[in-house]
Amino acid sequence: MSGKEYKNSKKILIVDDSEINRSLLSDMLSNEYEILEAENGMEAAAVMHSQEHEIALMLLDIVMPVMDGFETLVMMNENDWIKSIPVIMISAETVPSYIDRAYDLGVLDYISRPFDERTVRRRVISTIMLSAKQKELEHMVADQILKKEKDNKLMVEILSNIVEFRNGESGLHVVHIRALTELLLRSLMGKTDQYKITPRDIPLICNAAALHDIGKITIPSKILNKPGRLTDEEFAVMKTHAAEGARMLQNIALSEEEPLVKVAYQICRWHHERYDGRGYPDGLKGEDIPIAAQVVAMADVYDALTSDRVYKKAFSHKKTMEMIQNGECGAFNPLLLECLTDISDMLEKGLDTARPSKNTQEEMIDMVEDLMGQGTMDASERTLRLLEHERTRYQFFSELSQEIQFEYTAVPEMLILSEWGAKYLRMPETILNPRGDAFGKRVFTENDFTSLLEQLEHTTPDSPVVESNYLLDINGQERWSKVIARSMWMDGEPPVYSGAIGKIVDIHEDMEKLNRLEVMADHDSLTGLYNHRAAKARIMPLLSGKREGDQNYILVLFDLDHFKQANDQYGHQFGDEVLKYVANTVKNGIRGADIAARTGGDEFLIFMEYKTVIEPQVKRIFELLCGSYGEFTISVSMGVANAKDCRGDYEGLFQRADQALYAAKRGGRGRYCFYNDIAESE
Amino acid sequence: MTVKECYDAIGADYDDVFSRLRKDDRIRKFLLKVLDDKSYELLLNSVASRDMAEAFRAAHTLKGVCQNLSLTRLYKSSSRLSDVLRDRQEYGEDIAEALEPVKEDYTQMIEYIGKLAEE
Repeated sequence: MSGKEYKNSKKILIVDDSEINRSLLSDMLSNEYEILEAENGMEAAAVMHSQEHEIALMLLDIVMPVMDGFETLVMMNENDWIKSIPVIMISAETVPSYIDRAYDLGVLDYISRPFDERTVRRRVISTIMLSAKQKELEHMVADQILKKEKDNKLMVEILSNIVEFRNGESGLHVVHIRALTELLLRSLMGKTDQYKITPRDIPLICNAAALHDIGKITIPSKILNKPGRLTDEEFAVMKTHAAEGARMLQNIALSEEEPLVKVAYQICRWHHERYDGRGYPDGLKGEDIPIAAQVVAMADVYDALTSDRVYKKAFSHKKTMEMIQNGECGAFNPLLLECLTDISDMLEKGLDTARPSKNTQEEMIDMVEDLMGQGTMDASERTLRLLEHERTRYQFFSELSQEIQFEYTAVPEMLILSEWGAKYLRMPETILNPRGDAFGKRVFTENDFTSLLEQLEHTTPDSPVVESNYLLDINGQERWSKVIARSMWMDGEPPVYSGAIGKIVDIHEDMEKLNRLEVMADHDSLTGLYNHRAAKARIMPLLSGKREGDQNYILVLFDLDHFKQANDQYGHQFGDEVLKYVANTVKNGIRGADIAARTGGDEFLIFMEYKTVIEPQVKRIFELLCGSYGEFTISVSMGVANAKDCRGDYEGLFQRADQALYAAKRGGRGRYCFYNDIAESE
Repeated sequence: MTVKECYDAIGADYDDVFSRLRKDDRIRKFLLKVLDDKSYELLLNSVASRDMAEAFRAAHTLKGVCQNLSLTRLYKSSSRLSDVLRDRQEYGEDIAEALEPVKEDYTQMIEYIGKLAEE
């Protein structure tokens, strides 16, 4: 290790309010260590925050402004820094109660003033070494446990190999049983929690599985290795190996309570039981057979069928699968049969290559960490505290924001609302099966909710955000709301969609404003009818939407005869009233699907569908309009064109109606004209 | 003037500081730093503004520095002063009494250290 690296790996934090004192200490130590300085506890906290794991030691003064040494120690205890950073107290204070209090707060040593170079360096080195030593010891214990586990596995393997050797088997059987058991267990864990198997149980059960046939050591080898079929008597002897194996385990003094022995006992005794209760030695049935024994029984049968034995040749994987699934070789838990099907592909590639993916070394380390208990527990407690802190923060902000926030889990389908959101919607915070719940059926319409979930499901981890507006039912009120959500993914190849988080923001006010503006932009402010632009925008899709020949629409244009007189004679206000009156007459006279607009001045437009004949409805509108308003007699000139002849061209249609209107005026006003009629006559 | 002569002049213990810091250069370096140290100033200001907690901290810091550099005379007077100031809420005549020798010792000390710095 070069001097520089050494220096980089060890940092000492000096916390003292006097610059002279800090540099004095720094001067004594900076040859071997990198020195960090802080003027008070607050500054020290900032340094520890960013470099907690690089600080090998802290030298701490007591009397300081802002945050004194005791407060600093209390804070270090709260943050758990006191466990990773050894502290030496440096103070001019020699009052015993001060020193006692410092020790109580976790200080490891005390250097009194005046500073003596040799003392300071000696104390610093020994304190750093002491805590390094402690960490090293922790690692050594971990290594020893790891080694013990390895030795255990080795012993089990030697033992089961002896049995196999006596059986005349290759020794591969144990390897296969281990691998099969592991694959089946992992598959089973993915399907159900009912057996309460944890990842930590797997190596244990696999180890125990290797011992499944130890009882065979008691079977005479002429029966064990008989090439032909066993006689009934011989078979009866053979069957005793199950109970014998279990008995051997039971007799191990003082170890009956060892988990390995317990599981091995189950496996030895019951790996020849059948799910239908017709197995041996005890005729256990169904779930009375411990799951470890059920799994090993299946692994045993599969490996026996696919291997050569003295009494038979090996079957192919396919044939073996058929035989097991058809119940020709025992009776199994239907769930385990499913598991076997699931791992079929891996088995087909060959058991020797189908070693389970996860490195057992890794699991061993997991186990060791588990056994180490205290140390790692602290870490997880700390993590929990951080999580709790994060949760409080999240809750506080979510309450402030007054938004409905949610967390959606895909499997099992579940929705969790923020506290505020749940209160606001008057719903529980946790909603199971939200699609079937009022949330997915009433708050959202079923269609909207399905579409939102579909959108989320079709996102990718690279582009996970979805944003849509929905009209939601919030406690009986229809409110426009914006949903912004982000899909969540679990690590995997490819990543697995696990759900989403998001929020629902009320945008009703904004939407209404927008709608109002839209309405304003589309309507003539005097009459409330559409303006020409808006009418055209609504007519065009109707014209192009239908097949040619199906476009049974007419466009009616009309204006008021002698309207200028009404203005001149009675004033513009009166003129406006006439226009409003006409517009109302039109509004009341047309059907819901018809479109009416004031195209300008005293000129109006009506677009309407017809069934077979045109004239009656034109006549009806015409007659409706003729009348009087106050002293003013209302008379209109009207031109009508049929959309059928215009091939979806609005401008063409409008021009034709305009020409017909012109013809009506030319013909003396107070009448209606059809474009087709004038076109024929001209 | 050597560092030792300076120490002798201000009633400080050169042998003691040398036994701990072990280098004449280092002792000179830190002794000169005392000229930049703000704790004496802070002490006077805090007493003037009747901030007793701050005054205690400043006296305490001054005492610590003197202790580390074996500036015995000032250490003794500042030590007495910080004992008087400890846990004090209010100003009193005893503080002025204890402050007087600190002023005297400090002024004399700074005068000599200043001379050392000029050389």
